[in-house]
Amino acid sequence: MMLLLCCHFCGAGFQPALFFCAAMLYNVPMCTTDKTRGVFAATVLENRPLCDEHYLIRLQTPGFPATEAGQFVQLQCRPNAIPDAIRVVDWTDDAPPKLTGGEIADGEPLLRRPLSLAGRDGDILDIIYRVVGRGTGWLQRAAAGTELTILGPLGAPFPIPDTISQAILVGGGVGIPPMLYLAKALNAAGVQTTAICGARTAGLMPLATDDSGQSVEFSARGAHSILCTDDGTLGRGGLVTEPLAELLAAADDPAAVAVYSCGPEIMMKYVGLATTDAGAQCFLSLERSMACGMGTCQGCIVKIKDDSERGWNYKLCCSDGPVFPAESILWE
Amino acid sequence: MPDLSVNIAGIELANPLMTASGTCGYANEYADFVDLRTLGAFVTKSISVAPREGNPYPRVVETRSGMLNAIGLANVGLERFLDEKIPLLEELNLPVFVNIAGTNIDDYVQVTEALANVDVVKALELNISCPNVKAGGIQFGTDPASATEITRAVKAACGKNKLIVKLSPNVTDITAIAAAAVEGGADALSLINTLTAMVVDVETRKPVLANRTGGLSGPAIKPVAVHMVHRVYTQVAKPAGIPIIGMGGIQTGRDALEFLLAGATGLAIGTALFVDPACIVEIRDTINEYLTRHGCTSINEIIGALE
Ligand SMILES: Cc1cc2nc3c(=O)[nH]c(=O)nc-3n(C[C@H](O)[C@H](O)[C@H](O)COP(=O)(O)OP(=O)(O)OC[C@H]3O[C@@H](n4cnc5c(N)ncnc54)[C@H](O)[C@@H]3O)c2cc1C
Ligand SMILES: Cc1cc2nc3c(=O)[nH]c(=O)nc-3n(C[C@H](O)[C@H](O)[C@H](O)COP(=O)(O)O)c2cc1C
Ligand code: FES
Repeated sequence: MMLLLCCHFCGAGFQPALFFCAAMLYNVPMCTTDKTRGVFAATVLENRPLCDEHYLIRLQTPGFPATEAGQFVQLQCRPNAIPDAIRVVDWTDDAPPKLTGGEIADGEPLLRRPLSLAGRDGDILDIIYRVVGRGTGWLQRAAAGTELTILGPLGAPFPIPDTISQAILVGGGVGIPPMLYLAKALNAAGVQTTAICGARTAGLMPLATDDSGQSVEFSARGAHSILCTDDGTLGRGGLVTEPLAELLAAADDPAAVAVYSCGPEIMMKYVGLATTDAGAQCFLSLERSMACGMGTCQGCIVKIKDDSERGWNYKLCCSDGPVFPAESILWE
Repeated sequence: MPDLSVNIAGIELANPLMTASGTCGYANEYADFVDLRTLGAFVTKSISVAPREGNPYPRVVETRSGMLNAIGLANVGLERFLDEKIPLLEELNLPVFVNIAGTNIDDYVQVTEALANVDVVKALELNISCPNVKAGGIQFGTDPASATEITRAVKAACGKNKLIVKLSPNVTDITAIAAAAVEGGADALSLINTLTAMVVDVETRKPVLANRTGGLSGPAIKPVAVHMVHRVYTQVAKPAGIPIIGMGGIQTGRDALEFLLAGATGLAIGTALFVDPACIVEIRDTINEYLTRHGCTSINEIIGALE
């Protein structure tokens, strides 16, 4: 006797034998939905180092909804679970199958990891991640062909006001990836863009440079770039705030300039102060430890100024942000 | 198709699945991610009389097979809940259970009275088990006499609504609190809330959470929860004829079946929703498949069927 347990999303019939394809559970083309967000099956196309500790992973994600720069996804950083309900079990009338225990669907680490989109080409999503722990450590070993799931798209994108003619992007470390996606959008919007990218040292700069010291990636997106390292091993020595101050000082009409930044909080704080002092607009992308990413657990709070008596209130980084206007953030 | 419907204190549910309080907001947050009508009932985040902003950051940290949270019952408060959230809950077309929290009996009674005439609300879940706020009801959940007292006071104000009492696992003998709640008039019991826990950052020599401690949830607590459900079922709930809503680490259909066999009539899913909101579909389908394979026509045949 055989039991065919069917995929509840597509209701497709299956071939016999143990069936281990979690992709069937999610939004693959055969069961296209018009969902605006959700959990989607993805296949690793490519996963390669860009520099020390930083990797680019390209994920084929059929049916993934429209995305914008600044948005992020919650990526599963462990092998696909085998959902109980899509297994096909063989048994005879007198010997019913023994269920083999819930552990087949468990996995570590439990929670998904929030990662920004670094770019997108059709249904291929690009993510650049730095290996820092359990989840990203597993991700680093995910070979081409690995199947996983992505929850998203999440968060509010970087706004591109029609009033701007110039943009300055300031990325520090793993804050650089979302800037690549943003540079593409700004280029399409006809905004003249300069990207200032900082890293501690040359080995931690996830960008390739050409003969003139320009980032190949930003040049390909129509943006000029200034690379900085704290120890001077690549590009300018020193902090990203120095070239930022120079660019802001040189701007004819600061009101037509927007500065976008993502990176270490202390860096963003100074980027925000310098920019608002100069009279330009500033949008910062914040990071918080997250459980859900969907605005339900209330874990990812940010202090945002408001007109209440005390002058601030908690907002959620995952769903109200992660992008906030710099002047709205109450720094600790 | 086996019959998945269950009856919780007179409330008919299409299936035993519900959300665990605090892991699903007020429904609209999840609307894009899964069809919530897959559920038998919807349980809201805790509501208190006054809005609460909750604890400082960091509030969550992951552990092996689980997570700690110290949200601190952050919620919009009763007034905004009634104005803004009830209309959203009405659209769900599901029985809604509202989880209520407070610092003293008057607080609980005030929320209870305000919900007594709201149609879509079918039951209240009395949270006397939050480990994350100093005066968040846990004092009622760890002392049998106080548990009886608050249950009785809230029950008297419930009106048409049924009363579920949510138990803390952070006690020496959970059956004593369960019995106390039943004595106070509870129509159902739900368990378990999170286990008080701590994660230390060894470099800073400080706890990771700003609140220092948090509540452990997720797969890590499932065996503890299954055991507690079974003890409360055999020693209190079954003799009293009262249903249990079991929760704690349910992530797969197999997990859900363990709780049903141990004696749970309802099943709440919490942390697993963060990982995959659509897991409720898989859980429901696996229960169906299991019942079919075991020749059961109704889910009631396996509730408490542990040998
Ligand atoms: C909205 C958002 C977008 C992000 N985008 C990117 C991105 O594009 N590329 C990228 O490499 N990273 C990004 N991050 C950070 C990334 O989520 C964390 O590095 C990742 O979760 C670490 O997982 P892990 O299991 O490898 O590390 P864990 O084992 O969980 O932790 C290892 C170490 O990393 C620290 N850590 C864990 N989570 C975070 C976090 N959220 N922020 C800072 N430190 C953390 C821990 O304190 C610990 O010291 C983003 C975070 C957010 C909130
Ligand atoms: C982030 C988070 C917030 C929670 N908030 C509440 C709450 O407000 N009220 C409550 O009674 N329980 C709350 N809980 C406890 C859950 O309802 C549930 O009892 C517990 O998490 C165990 O189930 P799980 O392992 O499936 O998550 C919360 C749990 C989590 C993880
Ligand atoms: S991560 Fe859960 S609310 Fe933001």
